[in-house]
Amino acid sequence: MSKYVIKRLLLLIPTILLVGVIVFSLMRLIPGSAVDMVVYNYSKSGITITYEEAEAKLGLDKPAPVQFVEWMAGLFHGDLGNCLFKSESVWSVISRQVPISLELGVLTLLLATVISIPLGLFCASHPDTLADNIIRIISVVLMSIPIFWVGTLVLVYPAIWWGYSVPLKYVSFFQDPLENMKMFFIPALVGAITQVGVQIRAVRTMTLEVMRQDYVRTAWAKGAKEIRVMYGHAFRNALIPIITLFGGAIAGLMGGSVVMENMFNIPGVGQQLVTALTNRDYPLAQGCTVIFAIFVMLVNLIVDLAYKWCDPRVTLE
Amino acid sequence: MDKTRKKKKHSAAYDFFVLLFKTKKVSFISMLILIMFILVAIFANVIAPQKMVNGTLVSNLIEGVKAPSLQHLMGTDAMGRDLLSYMIYGARTSVILGISCTIISTIMSVIIGVASAVIGGKFDLFVQRFVDAWQCIPGMLIMLILMAIFGSGILQMILVISIPGGIAGSRMIRSAAFAVKDGNYCKMSKMLGGGNGWLMVVHVIPNIMPMILMNLANSLGGVIMMEATLNFLGFGVDANTPSWGYILTSQGRTKMYTAPWIGLAPGIAITLMVFAAAMFGDGVRDILDPRLKGGMGTFDTYKIRKIAAKYAAEAKKKANA
Repeated sequence: MSKYVIKRLLLLIPTILLVGVIVFSLMRLIPGSAVDMVVYNYSKSGITITYEEAEAKLGLDKPAPVQFVEWMAGLFHGDLGNCLFKSESVWSVISRQVPISLELGVLTLLLATVISIPLGLFCASHPDTLADNIIRIISVVLMSIPIFWVGTLVLVYPAIWWGYSVPLKYVSFFQDPLENMKMFFIPALVGAITQVGVQIRAVRTMTLEVMRQDYVRTAWAKGAKEIRVMYGHAFRNALIPIITLFGGAIAGLMGGSVVMENMFNIPGVGQQLVTALTNRDYPLAQGCTVIFAIFVMLVNLIVDLAYKWCDPRVTLE
Repeated sequence: MDKTRKKKKHSAAYDFFVLLFKTKKVSFISMLILIMFILVAIFANVIAPQKMVNGTLVSNLIEGVKAPSLQHLMGTDAMGRDLLSYMIYGARTSVILGISCTIISTIMSVIIGVASAVIGGKFDLFVQRFVDAWQCIPGMLIMLILMAIFGSGILQMILVISIPGGIAGSRMIRSAAFAVKDGNYCKMSKMLGGGNGWLMVVHVIPNIMPMILMNLANSLGGVIMMEATLNFLGFGVDANTPSWGYILTSQGRTKMYTAPWIGLAPGIAITLMVFAAAMFGDGVRDILDPRLKGGMGTFDTYKIRKIAAKYAAEAKKKANA
């Protein structure tokens, strides 16, 4: 087991390298470089600065491959360089803002799971009944509603009807958990809408697939209680594909949180990335994306390990 | 002899739609809704009360923010444009994007997946590692970066949405192609001197066609949602192109209270279109997915459970008596 984990962790290195290549080259493909931005900003405040001077100031005067190697080397040393437009290191920005996005993502997934698993199992245990059909159609509707639209409705109407508005000032969870939850609960609930739809359908399909198996039939036939059959036999075996889905969902939620952060004024990493992209702040944008990617890789690893935990038949190679 | 000749031979597509109609009513209705959207998009110039002039809907600020009336069935927006016309032209944007993105991304998936499976070896290894790495970067982030590279506009959006979709979908196509590639007829063809190109075009692609069509139908909903989301974030089409996502963010949000119709109409339209696309995709998958064949066994379990419950009740009655 530990051998497998070490092997997987080592395999991350080439993937990180490749992600680095993709991100670095994509960033350089964006038209209009940071240098133009700096020259423009200086000229606005009346200081003339040549293109070369600005380039040297930003450390962008070296050839791109050299920059890439230096950046990569820094990455493996845990040093992501400094922001171009802030007197702050990229790492400090990320370590401040990633937890915020992570909190939103985890809370969203948690809410979605709590709602969707019982409903999905209910559908699977009563297939093709009226309730099942209604839940299924509702879940597709949930998947189809644009969450940014619901977010707008949630921001506007409760404020008018009941004078309630979602707090828009960020408070850290450790400072004041209650205030923090007040701010995060509504965005997480709105973000969970799509996820609930996706998960209800997935749980239902996967569980039904398992319920066709002989051992489930045997369990019914020998007179096991419904709860035992559903949770002990069917659901446990359906867990593997469901866990895979959750792993993918975390990645999607972290990336997709840009919308929720944008709307509810949450200072997460998604917001930061959008600003970094518009400013052409290469180190910051690259850093954010690579950290995201590494996070996704680790989640994938955990998902694979979770297979083993929930299904002893799985052999990790 | 004559009888068999007289029998009308249906194409596979005809059989498919009949099956869809017979077994998946909701999916069939969804297909009709999609067709309706496409027709609206095609005949936008004929239907829309206010016509486009030089590619834009002319704004008329005096008429701004009017509630729905007989003259303007859905009211007008802040720029004084007839909202119904805006929605109709917006459908055109969504339909163009939806159709072209699904087609381009599926073609990309097929090229990457099939080539990777058939050529195999080092090429496959490299391509798969690249796909792995690409998949690790959250999709939304990559789209934002690509949007910054390509700039705004419909053509750019088509590229931005298709490229990640194509790369992500190549996985499924590759595994399907792998299963086909190891078939005896493929080996035989190779032995007879068929090259990789021949193998791909003549043997592999026709045999994974159901998978490809499924991919096509299933990605439609996601594409439409993606278009709306990108427009909402302000990374989408330019301000002159009518788009549901764009009007939602540019006016729907700020005018949500004073003029709710501006915000409600695009939201409902997006929901309806994505819903229809998802339902249609579902139906297509149920019919075409080889893994779901014989998937009717679910009913069997339910029946057994009922019987078990019946026996349990009888046993209880006996015990009581």
